[in-house]
Amino acid sequence: MALSSVDHAIINRALIAASHEMGSKLIRSAHSPIVREAQDCSAAIINQQGKVVAQAELTAIQLGSIAQTLAPCLALFPAETLRERDFFINNDPYHGGQHIQDIFLFTPIFYNAELIGFSASVAHHIDLGGGAPGLNPYAGDVHQEGLVFPPTLYNLDHDWNGGPLERFIRANVRMPEATIGDINAQFAANLIGAKRLSALVDRYGSEQLSEAMDAMLDYSELRVRNAIRNLPNGTYCANAAMDSDGINNKPIVIRTQVTIEDNNLEISFDGTDPQVGTNLNCPLASTIAAAIACAKSVLTDSDIPFNDGVGRVIKVSAPFGSLLNPSSPAPVRARLLASHRVFNAVMKALAQIAPDKVIAEGFDTTTPICLSRMEGNNYNIYLEILGGGYGAGNNNDGCDGVDSPLSNCANIPIESLEMDYRFLRIESYSLIPDSGGGGMYRGGLGLERSYRILEDGTSFATYSDRFDIVSEGLFGGKPGGLATMFINRDGEKIALSSKMGCDLQKGDLLVIRTGGGAGYGDPEKRSTDHMDLDISEGLTSQ
Amino acid sequence: MRVGIEVGGTFTDLIVIDENIAHIAKVPSTPGQPDVGALNAIEAAGIDLKNVAELVHGSTVATNAVLERKGGHICVIVTKGMRDLFALQRHDRTSIYDLKYKKPKPIVNRQDVLEINERMDADGMIVQKLDQIELAELIKTITANQKYDAVAICLLNSYVNPEHEKEIASTIKQMAPSLSVTCSYNVSREFREYERASTTALSAYVQPIIEGYLNRFLKKLEIKGFTGRFSIMQSNGGRMPAYAMSKNAIAALYSGPAAGVVGATGIAGRIGYRDIITLDIGGTSTDVALIVNGTPDLTPLTKIDGLPVRTPVIDIATVGAGGGSIAWVDDGNLLRVGPESAGAYPGPASYGRGGELPTITDAHLIRGTLQASSFLGGTMKVDMEAARSSFKSMSAHLMMPIEELADSTIRIAEANIVRAIQQVSTERGRDPRDFVIVAFGGAGPLHAARVAEELDVSTVIIPPHAGVLSAVGLLMSDYVHFRARTERTRLVDSSVTSIINILSDLRTQTETYLISEGISEGLTFEHILEMRYVGQAFEVSVTLGEDLKHLTIDAVSKIFSEAHHRIFEFSKPPENPVEIVSYRVGARTKSAKFFTPKDGLDGKTERTPEPEFIEITEGGEQIQCQLMTRQLVSGEGSFGPILIEDGTSTIYVPPTWSALRDDANIIILKRGK
Repeated sequence: MALSSVDHAIINRALIAASHEMGSKLIRSAHSPIVREAQDCSAAIINQQGKVVAQAELTAIQLGSIAQTLAPCLALFPAETLRERDFFINNDPYHGGQHIQDIFLFTPIFYNAELIGFSASVAHHIDLGGGAPGLNPYAGDVHQEGLVFPPTLYNLDHDWNGGPLERFIRANVRMPEATIGDINAQFAANLIGAKRLSALVDRYGSEQLSEAMDAMLDYSELRVRNAIRNLPNGTYCANAAMDSDGINNKPIVIRTQVTIEDNNLEISFDGTDPQVGTNLNCPLASTIAAAIACAKSVLTDSDIPFNDGVGRVIKVSAPFGSLLNPSSPAPVRARLLASHRVFNAVMKALAQIAPDKVIAEGFDTTTPICLSRMEGNNYNIYLEILGGGYGAGNNNDGCDGVDSPLSNCANIPIESLEMDYRFLRIESYSLIPDSGGGGMYRGGLGLERSYRILEDGTSFATYSDRFDIVSEGLFGGKPGGLATMFINRDGEKIALSSKMGCDLQKGDLLVIRTGGGAGYGDPEKRSTDHMDLDISEGLTSQ
Repeated sequence: MRVGIEVGGTFTDLIVIDENIAHIAKVPSTPGQPDVGALNAIEAAGIDLKNVAELVHGSTVATNAVLERKGGHICVIVTKGMRDLFALQRHDRTSIYDLKYKKPKPIVNRQDVLEINERMDADGMIVQKLDQIELAELIKTITANQKYDAVAICLLNSYVNPEHEKEIASTIKQMAPSLSVTCSYNVSREFREYERASTTALSAYVQPIIEGYLNRFLKKLEIKGFTGRFSIMQSNGGRMPAYAMSKNAIAALYSGPAAGVVGATGIAGRIGYRDIITLDIGGTSTDVALIVNGTPDLTPLTKIDGLPVRTPVIDIATVGAGGGSIAWVDDGNLLRVGPESAGAYPGPASYGRGGELPTITDAHLIRGTLQASSFLGGTMKVDMEAARSSFKSMSAHLMMPIEELADSTIRIAEANIVRAIQQVSTERGRDPRDFVIVAFGGAGPLHAARVAEELDVSTVIIPPHAGVLSAVGLLMSDYVHFRARTERTRLVDSSVTSIINILSDLRTQTETYLISEGISEGLTFEHILEMRYVGQAFEVSVTLGEDLKHLTIDAVSKIFSEAHHRIFEFSKPPENPVEIVSYRVGARTKSAKFFTPKDGLDGKTERTPEPEFIEITEGGEQIQCQLMTRQLVSGEGSFGPILIEDGTSTIYVPPTWSALRDDANIIILKRGK
């Protein structure tokens, strides 16, 4: 029986609701702050063919390439060989994964022994071994960043709940309770996806469900094509750059070519700088996700379900051996820095044809702050992500003090942090006035967070950017403020570099100040109302 | 004589019970001055206020003060370094692909957030003391020019040790006795500074408005001779005396939906149903809630206008599906309904108030499931042609006949409602098939049976006066007061005494408070623990029995593990450590006798015309349908399809359903023969 358009609409919403429920339960049952408070995770529902049909829209960088992470698993272990309670694991940056910390779990879903689809979840794990607790800023290869799980098939009954895989992970990570707890939260999310999908088969039958899933892909594809159709054909080029690789003091440049041909969009990165020796390399899956996230954000309504129908329209490629498609075993931990410059470059290319839809560059730098300490025989690892100011648009100021576009981490409440990490006290958490670039609309403000270190033996590691190269304004807008980090130790100010790690002493005050977003349009045209409001609120001084 | 008055966005509803006879009145709301509408309703019902012993009131005054940003001018005192708490919020975005994302607008301006040097640590130890001179200077700044209506205080870690908040508050009282002060430890003594600060600031913000409104309203009532008890509905489903409410204004948010849930729970309980799903469909939205064993679930955190409110609220899921919700086609050719609504103005196209967009109400008119005669008992004119023409362009675009399109519109709206019910049932680990649906609001009874079918629920209950059930619920509500405290406690055998002590302490606090407000008879208590596995950040609510003396750790552990499993599909083996994060105690006193009023029927519904047959389009088919009034529904049961015009609402009984009316004038719909 053919599916009516009403049934299609109803199943469509049900699948999206199911993926959202997966995401929210993953967060609510997870253990480490990076998942449960910062929400660095995502979830998806996938059809029998391995195409993502619905996703929990939590973290942009983890979406848009989930099918590419599943594909190598299915190539090795074909769908028809899968059994109940099997699952795939993959975090291999060189086989469809992103960085080591993002473990993808895929659960095949059976209904009366028939495979009806997969549920998927991904979470950032606080520690997976490697050369330093939580974050190894000086890793020279991917092996020093943590355990690699290549695309592999396991079974819950055989390998988990005290089985060999769980025991192996437990023995090789520094905070086993948190890691195993978070993986269990991922399994629970996948189980919920399976239950909801099975309930839809109960109601509509597996053929109808599969038909509805196909229709969902077609629907998103159609809506994205409709959005692209109105843009002028042509190739549009732009660049964006990171400060340096952390060793050589020279910018690393990403070059993009965005080609529109009728209702197809192709994004390539020819001429991008080669891969580097430090952890700034960006695996292909992250490059694809970042480019698609930018194009989707700029060109389409936010209510278009983000699934693999979008990927049919937008093709992304990057030369092998470049920063955006590195070869193994280059380290990749800080791939979000390059991913954000991918986002910036594609945005600047699109600014040439859709000036009213783009925004100026923001701080756009996912900055992790990792503070760890040995307490008795256990590690205690604090990891939090800081954002900054968003770039301004054609009719809005950039958002102040918010996470960067490709990540979407909430902060860890100070009162929660101080309960769990007795070696830290937050002394300020505030916006930085005047850090937004001027313009007809101004950029968003950067933020400051400062940590008083209460115990010796505390280690610090981070990676950040925009210490040297400012966020660029659009159409006359001014750049946003730069980021800085420093330690106040006994009245002395010790400047820190953007990609580094070091030991801290009791009494140190670690100060992180992130960058602001750039402005949009001529600052002379800013309305006096907006200016007066900013001055009265103390957000700008003039 | 007892009177309930519920002020909604469009209508003000009133129910009066006099010598066990119920009368109702429905008049248009007067948004600028809600008390005017309320007094109009009193007049319309012909009530002499001298004879009113009890008046219970629910209104949207607090909610509107926030939504329209018309609260008091407040300032907030925070710990040094935390001035931007309200601007930074939680640092995330609710829409990840929205490049022009705007955070919810803070309730307090940045220049009105003032810092003071002081600090507690996570154990409540003082790291830095308050400086008296600095404090005095700060208060002088605040009181200069009498700029502020109220002050809120929210300091870091004050939930553990509120000493500094208390000290600041008492110094303000000395220096500026007339300035109203709200402390965070009083409003929400729980961790997470942004949520607590937001709740405290909102409370201070709405307080002057609520207080002003209630005083004004009471004065008007008193002029007309009112000397009875005056109480106000809270969002937790209980009520408080009006004068107490003006001190705890934040509890008045969302009182309207809560009153409906209380009414539905009370009426279903009278005929033995204690596990119910409430379905309240109004003009702009649908509210649903799940009730297990006669007690609505409370949620500790809700939001208003994007801002968090940490005060227990009945756990209600809302979707933008109501009579005014607009049908549209997106650029992927998919038919959609809502969340945009035509609201009361301009309203549905058929209302002829300038609305031209197709709404659910228009779709019902086209299908025949609403008859022109059923609007406000036939007193309101509707324009069928306008309804049809509003669907014309979509009909051409989708190449679908208008009747079929109207029918599809309603199916989509009903699917959205089903999703809301799944949110409070399936997603909370409850199987909707174990529940009955209680439908009310103007349109609840019209959609309930089809929604029930989708969820495999086989019984639907329609209370009398379903269209004004919120007003009925006001008269059925108890006096309720909650207190909470965050104190992390490992769940081990040795902690049992401390758990009992904390709960008993909170219990004494709630009791003392209610007694101080003149309420003491027949108190009962609810003890709730917010619990989690050590390492998790979100808590699962665990409700204990009333008897604390025999509390054991094993029993608590078992209830927690079951609750965790129900929601998350897993629980851990018992050796995994569990902790209590927050304690919550509610005190309740049965204020109202259960009443079983007979219908006053208001004269106009006394006509009982013979049933007639009409043609409708429903469920993809054209069918012959009976049209009748509630009085014609028999105790033996009548089989659908039937459309029952019921004064304040319309009930639809689909073909495979039957309807019967019991002694209490409640209509029960059953699926199948």
